[in-house]
Amino acid sequence: MANDREVLREIWDGKIPVCFTLDSEEICELQGPDPFYLMVPRLSYFPLCTDKIRKHFIRHIQSDSKQEHEMWLEFNGIPLKWHYPIGVLLDIYSNDVELPWNIVVHFDRFPENVLMHCQNKEVVEAYFLSCIKEADVLKHRGQVVSSMQKKDHNQLWSGLLNDKFDQFWSVNRKLMEASNIEEGFKYIPFRCYTSEDKYVQKLVKPINEEGQRKTLRHLLNEVFPDNENVTVFTHGITPPLETPLQWMSEHLSYPDNFLHLIMT
Amino acid sequence: MAASESGVSSLSRENNWRKNLILQLQERNKRQTYCFADLISLHNRLFENVNTLRGENIQLTISNETLRREAASGTPGLSVNADLEARLLKQAEELATLHRRKGEHTQQIVDINNKLQEMMKELQAKEISLAESVELNANLRLEISKCLNRERELEGVNQMLKDEHQALQLAESFSSPTAFLMHTILKFGKRQAKMQKELEDAARDTRPISPDRSSLKEGISGLPTAVPTKVSVTFTAHDGEVYAVKWSPVERMLATGGADRKVKLWNISKGAAENKGILVGSNAGVMCVDFDSTGTLILGASNDYASRVWTVSDFRLKVSRKACMQLIFLEFTTNDVILLCNTVLLILLPKYNLFEFEY
Repeated sequence: MANDREVLREIWDGKIPVCFTLDSEEICELQGPDPFYLMVPRLSYFPLCTDKIRKHFIRHIQSDSKQEHEMWLEFNGIPLKWHYPIGVLLDIYSNDVELPWNIVVHFDRFPENVLMHCQNKEVVEAYFLSCIKEADVLKHRGQVVSSMQKKDHNQLWSGLLNDKFDQFWSVNRKLMEASNIEEGFKYIPFRCYTSEDKYVQKLVKPINEEGQRKTLRHLLNEVFPDNENVTVFTHGITPPLETPLQWMSEHLSYPDNFLHLIMT
Repeated sequence: MAASESGVSSLSRENNWRKNLILQLQERNKRQTYCFADLISLHNRLFENVNTLRGENIQLTISNETLRREAASGTPGLSVNADLEARLLKQAEELATLHRRKGEHTQQIVDINNKLQEMMKELQAKEISLAESVELNANLRLEISKCLNRERELEGVNQMLKDEHQALQLAESFSSPTAFLMHTILKFGKRQAKMQKELEDAARDTRPISPDRSSLKEGISGLPTAVPTKVSVTFTAHDGEVYAVKWSPVERMLATGGADRKVKLWNISKGAAENKGILVGSNAGVMCVDFDSTGTLILGASNDYASRVWTVSDFRLKVSRKACMQLIFLEFTTNDVILLCNTVLLILLPKYNLFEFEY
C-alpha cells in the first residue's frame, strides 16, 4: 500500500535541468540558435516535453527538406531512447552527466537501428500503457488493469503528461494495492540495467517461502547470484539494501509501475 | 522480549533505511532540482520574453514597413516626384506630337509653296490674258469710236441729204424753178436794155472809165477787153494754195481765201499789199469769197460744206450755215441774193432768207 506520501512526493518532484543544443552540422544559418534550457521531470519521457525544443530549433534548420523530419536526441554520441523515462536515462549515463545535462538535438540522419520511431505522443502513450499492463500482469495477473475503465487509463496518462501528482496517484494507488496484504504482489516488476541498452528481468516474489519480506539485497542476490557486492542506482539515489521489496515497488516505481534499477 | 527487541530493531532498521532514502531523495532534489529550477525558470521566462519581443519586433518591422510604404505612396515629396515624372512623360509625349505636327506643317508649307507657285503661274497667265483682253478692249473701244465716228458721219450725211431734200423742197416752193428762171432772165433782159441805154449815154459822155464794177460789167457785157501782162503787186497771202480772190465794191480792198482755212483782207495801195485782217472760222479750205453790194459783208464758202458771213469793219463771224453739199462757188448778186453753186446744183437764196434761216 503506497501510503508514504512524503517519499512519493519527493520522487515526483524530481526534475533535472537539461541544456538542448542543435547539432552544429544541421545549422543552416551563420549564427546558430541559442541553447534551450529546460527543467524536465525525471518520471516523464522526452517526447512529452520537447515540443518547445522542436519549435525553438525548427526555424534554424534547412527549411525545405528537414522540417518534417522526426526529431531525435543524442548524448555523447549516443542516441537517447525515448521510451526510457528521463530519470532512467540520467541514471544510466550518470557517470558522464554533469548538470545541466547537455543533449544535442538532431533532425537529420535518424538512427534507424538504435531508436524506435516516435511520430507523436500517442505512441508514447501506447508504450506507457503497455508497460503498466505488463507490470500489472506481474503484480496482479493483470486483473486490476483489466478491471479499469478507459477513463482511468486516460487519467493515468494525462496525470503524467501534465505533471499532476494527485490526478495520477488517485488511479495509480489502485495498481499499487496488493491483493493480499501479507503476501504483497505476486511478483515484483523491475528492470535491472546492466548497461545502457541491456536490462535483466526476473520473476521475483516480495516474500520468501517462509513468508518473510524480501529486501533489495535478496533481489540482487537472486538476479546476480555470482556477484555479492552489487549496488543499484535509481531516482538518482542509492536505496539501502535493507529496503523491503514490496515497499520499494510501491514507492520507488516509475509511473510505468516498474522499478528501474541501474547497476553501478 | 527478543521479539519486541527484534521488532524495535527492525522498526529502527526500517526507519533507518527509510530515513536514509528520504534524505537521499531530498539531497538529490536539492542538488539536482531546486538549485536549477529558479535559474531555468528564469531562463525560460527570459526566453519567452525574447521570443515575444522578437515577435513584437517582427510585427513592428512589418507595420513599419507597411507604414513606410504607405508613407512612400502618400508623402507629398515622393508624390510630387511621381507627379513630376508623370508630367515629364506627358511633356515628352506632347513634344513628340509637336514634332509630328511640325513635320506635318513643314509638309503643308511645302505643299502650300508648290500651290503658291502654281497660283503665281496661273496669275501670270491670267495677267497675260488680262493684258490681251485689255488690248482687245482698247481695240474694241477704238472700233467703237470709229463706228461712232462713222455713225456721226453717216448722221451728217443723213442731215445733208435731209437739207438737200429740204432745199429741193424749198426750191420747189418758188412755184417752179423754170418759172423762176424765166422771171430772172426776163429781169436780166430788162436790165440789159436799160444798161444799153446807159451805155449809149456813157458813150456820149466820153468820160474816163472808172474801174468800178458796173463799168467792168459793162465792159464784160459790151466792150472788148485786154489781158493784163504786167504784175503790179506780188505778195504771199496764205500758207498754201489761194483758192479765191475778190475786190471790195467800195474800197481798194482785196479778200482772199486759201487752203489754210482763212479769209484775209488786204489793202492794196501804192504797189504794196497791207494785211487788214484775218477772218477765221472755217474748218476747211475756203473755196470762194464775195462782198455784198455795200462792201460791209463778206461771204465765204468752205470745203466743210458751210458758207459763212463776216462783217468787214470788225472781222467778226456773223452767220455760219452748214449746207448739205460741197460748195465750190457762191456770189452776192446785185440785189444781194446769194448764189450757191455745187457741181450739180445752182441755188439762189435771198439774203434775208439766209439770215432769217439762221436767226
